[in-house]
Amino acid sequence: MSSDGANDGDGAAKGLEALDEQPADEHAETPAIDEGRYLYCLVRADEDAALETTGVDDEPVSIVTENGIGAVVHACDGIYDSADLAQIRRWLVRHQTVVDEAGQAFGTPIPFQFDTILRGDDAAVREWLHEESETLERALSGLVDHWEYRVEVVEVDPISDEALIERDERLRELDEQIGGSGEGTAFLLEKQFDQRLTELRAARRESLTADLEERLAAKAREVHALERSPSAKLSNDITDTESETVRDSSDGSDESSDGEALCRLTVLAHEDDEEAIGSILDDVAANDGLEVRFTGPWPPYTFSPELGDDGTAADERANPQP
Amino acid sequence: MTAIDVGDGEDARQGLVTLVITVVEILIDALEREAVRRMESGNLSDEEIERLGSQLATIEAEIEQLKADEEIEDGVDDLRGDLDGLVNDAIEQLHGEPTATQNPGYSVFGGEGE
Repeated sequence: MSSDGANDGDGAAKGLEALDEQPADEHAETPAIDEGRYLYCLVRADEDAALETTGVDDEPVSIVTENGIGAVVHACDGIYDSADLAQIRRWLVRHQTVVDEAGQAFGTPIPFQFDTILRGDDAAVREWLHEESETLERALSGLVDHWEYRVEVVEVDPISDEALIERDERLRELDEQIGGSGEGTAFLLEKQFDQRLTELRAARRESLTADLEERLAAKAREVHALERSPSAKLSNDITDTESETVRDSSDGSDESSDGEALCRLTVLAHEDDEEAIGSILDDVAANDGLEVRFTGPWPPYTFSPELGDDGTAADERANPQP
Repeated sequence: MTAIDVGDGEDARQGLVTLVITVVEILIDALEREAVRRMESGNLSDEEIERLGSQLATIEAEIEQLKADEEIEDGVDDLRGDLDGLVNDAIEQLHGEPTATQNPGYSVFGGEGE
């Protein structure tokens, strides 16, 4: 509640400008925001809570509280959009950092997606917190001490055809038949053999995933399967510092060419169960040729309730599919 | 992928051949799968299986030769990769598979002019 003053003059001036000459020509689709609050996350916070940090685009971050719920915000007068990927990456990292810091200071936050803006001033935020207090209270208390963990099982050393043949009677049968057949028959049998190999690989992947999901579900509150390959990825080297130099070192190997992802899961778990989950993953990693990537604790991005779609007017624009 | 680029001028012929061969390859794959299915079903005599197999083997060999002659092996592979991605996306959307990753974009709450 302290860092607001620095921004007031600036914000108001821009608000007036935006009223008079809206930049509608250049960005016909972007909504005009005279005055808004960029939302990072919601936390449990008392009246006098403060968070000293800078947010997206170096804006000073403040906390607006109402009835023990605090919204981490900064004052803004427009959405954040840029054609410059490095710029967007810096914004995203700042967004993430602020949410992380808020989480460390106040416990599990309910994070907002990047570029979520509420029209109006601090009073509007307070009003919204008040209106939604029941939902928010329930969501926050439900998530207390729970964090999101990401699990990725990668096959760094794919199981060989030989190993599969050794394990599967049908493949051995086909292998023998191929040897004793005419050319045309052998051709079809080989196709059948290849199909069987593909099926076995898929079955192995599925059973491994199902088994892991089941074991994790016993320790975690929720387990979700994600797409096997991330649909969007900024870069491996998301860092706060200038990423240009870092990127060079990893170029060429940017694609995760070091193995095929067998499954990607995201887990909501109590922080006390982190070790139990780690030991389940150790078991999986003990398998030959498998590697487990475990990250967290993250703010519960995947497990946060959907807010604001219950009649409140929201302009949303999802980027068109490429 | 929203467009198939066959190139222009000098490249156009090769681009078009790549496209045609890719489509033919996909068709042959489907034929082969169907042949295997029929073989498994036990409705074909040994003689029929042998004949079907050698016909398909011949076609496949011809296609491989054609790709090598035209130097479009990589082009065909790339295009098939793109098409696979396209089809997978379509299937996943159809099944409503879990997509925890939300679409990027912005959200602005609070009505205009309030």
